[in-house]
Amino acid sequence: MDCANCLERLYAYLDRELAPVERREVRAHLDDCAGCEDDFVIEQRFLDRVRDCCQEDVAPTELRTRIVARLRMEHDAPR
Amino acid sequence: MATDPFESEALSFLDALYRTALRMTRSEAEAEDLVQETYIRAFRFRAQFTPGTNLKAWLFRILTNTFINEYRRKAARPDTTELDDASEAYMQQVSEAVAADEDTAAYVEELEGRIDEVAEKFRTTLLLDVEGFSYKEIAEMLEIPIGTVMSRLHRGRKILQRRLYDVARDRGIVAARAMPRPAD
Repeated sequence: MDCANCLERLYAYLDRELAPVERREVRAHLDDCAGCEDDFVIEQRFLDRVRDCCQEDVAPTELRTRIVARLRMEHDAPR
Repeated sequence: MATDPFESEALSFLDALYRTALRMTRSEAEAEDLVQETYIRAFRFRAQFTPGTNLKAWLFRILTNTFINEYRRKAARPDTTELDDASEAYMQQVSEAVAADEDTAAYVEELEGRIDEVAEKFRTTLLLDVEGFSYKEIAEMLEIPIGTVMSRLHRGRKILQRRLYDVARDRGIVAARAMPRPAD
């Protein structure tokens, strides 16, 4: 696998969407190529940041209360 | 009734549904309405859910469909970041510059704002990815091919990196001279 092929699979690799054989091929290339390895590390850090950033918010307590009350009404309503 | 297992399990995904709805609609009030509507629909159509399958994915599919059908048209703010064609070499520099800036507190704050600016179709795909869904699951939720999921994730991430880079450059963290912005 050359660098272009490897970089083409960057996100699929980081997203764990590659088939095992292809994954091993990318891994083997990364072990031999510091340039590609750097790119993968940078992108992984970026994806981690995006993930952390998006997972901070929690639902307001009133929303939970409102939904539970609403579902209770659905329970009680004739089906 | 409080011990209805379907209801309890469904409610365990409330935070995940809410934070996704918040970034889809970019409005707290609309996010709350969207999530409530999602639960009402889930409850009414619960017979269609196959026990033992992925409830989170099923709920997100309802959320996404409800958003696309009812909320997208009246989105609170227009999307500001559209697709553009930056060269791969430029995007490479952007990725590196973004990485260099990533430990500043301002980075996280900027990141939140920039996600909201990414055009809706890319943003929705990014948000579903953040929640841990596979390409296949996202494809099913959005009713698009897996290849389209991949390209939207790729473009969405690059748009986000480019916006972060531009912000970092404007704040003087990245020397603009070292990385000239290509002509659009």
